[in-house]
Amino acid sequence: MAASQRAQLEASNVRLVKDKVARWGITFGGGLVLIALLLIFFYLLYVVAPIFRSVSIDPMHNFALAGSGQTVALGMEEQSEIGFRFDDTGELTFFALKERIGTSWQPGDVLLQQQVASQPTAFTATQPQNKRYAYALAEGAVQVVEPKFRSRFEHGVRYTTPYIDPAEHPVIAIDPQQRTLVKLAYEYQGNSQLFAAVTDDQRVIVNLLQASRSFLTGTTELKPKFTELPLQGSVDDLLVTPDLRQVIVRQGNRLSIFSVSRTGTVTEQQTLTVDRRQFGPITSMSLLAGASSIMIGHDNGRITQWFEVATENGRQYKYIRQFQAGQSAIESIVSEFYRRTFYTISATGEVGVFHTTSEADLYFEKVGQLHAEHLVIDPRANTVLIESNNQLHTFELHNEHPEVTWSGLWQEVWYEGYPEPQYVWQSTSGSDAFEPKFSLVPISFGTIKAAAYAMIFAVPIGLAAAVYTAYFMSPRARKVVKPTVEIMEALPTVILGFLAGLWLAPIIEQYLPGFVATLILVPTSIIVVAALTSVLPKEWRNRCTDGRAAVILVPIVVVVGWLSFELSPWVEQTFFGGNVREYITNELGITFDQRNSLVVGIAMGFAVIPTIFSIAEDAIFSVPKHLSQGSLALGATTWQTLTKVVLLTASPGIFSAVMMGLGRAVGETMIVLMATGNTPILDWNIFEGMRTLSANIAIEMPESEVGSSHYRILFLAAFVLFIFTFAFNTLAELVRQRLRDKYSSM
Amino acid sequence: MISVTPTSSHTENLDLANLTAEQTALSIRHLNLHYGDAQALYDISMMIPKNQVTAFIGPSGCGKSTLLRCINRMNDLVEICRVSGEILLHGKNIYDKDVDVAALRRQVGMVFQRPNPFPKSIYENVVYGMRLQGVNDRRTLDEVVERSLKGAALWDEVKDRLNESAFGLSGGQQQRLVIARAIAIEPEVLLLDEPTSALDPISTLTIEELITELKKQFTVVIVTHNMQQAARVSDQTAFMYMGKLIEYADTNTLFTTPAQKQTEDYITGRYG
Repeated sequence: MAASQRAQLEASNVRLVKDKVARWGITFGGGLVLIALLLIFFYLLYVVAPIFRSVSIDPMHNFALAGSGQTVALGMEEQSEIGFRFDDTGELTFFALKERIGTSWQPGDVLLQQQVASQPTAFTATQPQNKRYAYALAEGAVQVVEPKFRSRFEHGVRYTTPYIDPAEHPVIAIDPQQRTLVKLAYEYQGNSQLFAAVTDDQRVIVNLLQASRSFLTGTTELKPKFTELPLQGSVDDLLVTPDLRQVIVRQGNRLSIFSVSRTGTVTEQQTLTVDRRQFGPITSMSLLAGASSIMIGHDNGRITQWFEVATENGRQYKYIRQFQAGQSAIESIVSEFYRRTFYTISATGEVGVFHTTSEADLYFEKVGQLHAEHLVIDPRANTVLIESNNQLHTFELHNEHPEVTWSGLWQEVWYEGYPEPQYVWQSTSGSDAFEPKFSLVPISFGTIKAAAYAMIFAVPIGLAAAVYTAYFMSPRARKVVKPTVEIMEALPTVILGFLAGLWLAPIIEQYLPGFVATLILVPTSIIVVAALTSVLPKEWRNRCTDGRAAVILVPIVVVVGWLSFELSPWVEQTFFGGNVREYITNELGITFDQRNSLVVGIAMGFAVIPTIFSIAEDAIFSVPKHLSQGSLALGATTWQTLTKVVLLTASPGIFSAVMMGLGRAVGETMIVLMATGNTPILDWNIFEGMRTLSANIAIEMPESEVGSSHYRILFLAAFVLFIFTFAFNTLAELVRQRLRDKYSSM
Repeated sequence: MISVTPTSSHTENLDLANLTAEQTALSIRHLNLHYGDAQALYDISMMIPKNQVTAFIGPSGCGKSTLLRCINRMNDLVEICRVSGEILLHGKNIYDKDVDVAALRRQVGMVFQRPNPFPKSIYENVVYGMRLQGVNDRRTLDEVVERSLKGAALWDEVKDRLNESAFGLSGGQQQRLVIARAIAIEPEVLLLDEPTSALDPISTLTIEELITELKKQFTVVIVTHNMQQAARVSDQTAFMYMGKLIEYADTNTLFTTPAQKQTEDYITGRYG
């Protein structure tokens, strides 16, 4: 007896261990799932977070100014190891900015000092990325200077040395009257160079020099095209755009914009008077990176942005937006090499950092307590060189993602060249001068649009099929139908997308009237047939059981569908002048794309149907039989029982089914990727496509630079998608719980 | 050993084999029923008298519920079920081709073994049958609710919470609600399929008292496996065994002097 009791005890010990192991195993598995989800969530946040980090400027080195005279320009090479300075005596000095492995460089050591121009009368610099500078010499001549750097590698260490090549840029005479130039502007493109200058007798001259090769002698010579601008009075600022197509002259608050043709013909394009009372007197002017915008600094700390917008009078410069950098005059505006970030120096010595596209005020204070006099940014925008009180200071700049702000992502932004503020997603383009446009609105909209069209297609079919299968179909047929539809869910969506894009889209385009007719006529014909059977004699009607209804309906559906397609060319010929596509485009003014939302709706609807069908069918089928029998026993017809009891009781499950379908449609990638043109447009038009968040990530992630703003914004898009599905599912679950509390039965 | 004392109080003993048309609610004639190849009912013929309680008893699987479900054609829902023979209601065979099953079920109501209120309020449960017939007048519905709930002896318990969910009621209350729902559409015949088998003794007693009240207005047919219940509530009892009607007599006679050996064995507890 004792032995058997002990044996029982031991057996229960084994069971206890099994129970414990099972419980721990399940807890561990569930925990892992949760942790994995949280990890994804936090990893996305971790990648996204830096785009909202603020600007910081941290001191590195400072040293005494090398060379003599007053600084006219500062610069840095690509690696920000070497800086250079042009002064008003025509001397160019290269100096080290930091210690270098393998050299004895100390910050401030002079590496090369050279007189590049004698007794200059004026100085100018090209846009930062063009890296050229020019001194005006006596008698209307100009010396172009290009600081250059040579790199060599020894034992894996890079050594950079500065040099200049005087032979490359001979002195060019630009004023035929050989007067002294007091102001100068210069840009070049290929072999063409455009100079604008103000002479000491207050003439404003423009000279386009184009290199041409002589066929006879084989030598290259510069052909000048000289123009004198019809301007009176003194000139404050002179700018030339790097495409050599515009000269901008500022006289007080008046800007005269001249356009320069390819052959050098100058015509007046626009005279822009910047309202003195509205904006304040102008103290400085500069072109933004990309040279589409003019940034104007005012004496009250205001900076205004102006760019060309299409108007009735052609493209005209227009006021776009403004920034505020303290209250004192803006002494100079420095733009970055590639991004739309600009830096200001105020009369009181503060440095401001702004980004135009995102309308971001990033920074405004005295850097390192210094009164900044000159400032320059290196090409990679991570070092700032500041001159203050005959000392040069280098600072480390952290400003990785100025172009992204929350408002810029979700609100309308006025992009350069656009007639008005818009939501635009355009992350890349062929040129460096391009302004990236990161609005998540069009792609979020695309996601919703695709999901909406898919749901319009999938919900009626999925739910109707679920109701029929669960409620009317014979158990034998149900056993075949249900797994078959569920297998559809396992169909790779890439196949659906590919079929939709390459096979379905052309068919829909070709038989558009037939297709639309099918969508309308098939459901109508089903209802009409149903109505007809209800007026049949009672005896016939009782004989027509549910199973036979399908037998009658299937041929009708087939015939109506076939007729729609057969009549399609005839309808097209008779009512739409032979081409529906053209009719829609020309007569209705609706854009028609072959791969449009209709195709996506059908293809993605096809992918979503099994999800909706499967869950809804389970919900309807699991409505207790005694409920439906209770209803039938009260004299309800099958249909009444269905609508008043069964669907009501199954409503939590049906709702879940629809929401799960929606979740799937929102997250679906391959179908929308392959079956639309992926244009990020904001339009509900069913005949146009869309670009969804998920497709956008799939398309752009492979080509985005790791760590760039673009890369991080794609992660943000993923995060938004994550939040989308999370919100949908949470909402669905909440509603389902409430419905279940209300309608679930025993 | 169960001792059974018939307590039902009916004044006259009817001649069950030869009821007059006025006395008859239903007459079943040569009813056979097959589930696929298996025969479940064998040649059942019986007359069910009006405004009386008729009980079907018998061991599990004897076909008593199947027979009951034939009366309002609930067996139609079973696909493999075939019925031959006739059940006459007002002289009309309910299995005729031109019979509207929904209309039949309005005349022959049914209450199931487990309480099955709909996921609606108490009020909406009661008026469900009325609404099916298109009655939506609030005043009419209010009257029906009060009358039906009073008829099902539930009014006093629920009159203050008519708009609350029916799921808040106890099992016995739910079953009475279901009865109220059935009598709301004023059927002629009320079929009760083991209505108390899922209930506690006190609820059972309430329902049994209710059944005695109900027969004043309706013809009641009840299936029960509880012989005491049959003895307590019914006027006539039919004993079924293996799909056959073994004996059909007034309850007193059947429980005290059964004509058949099988009946006697059953009521004295030898099998079942």
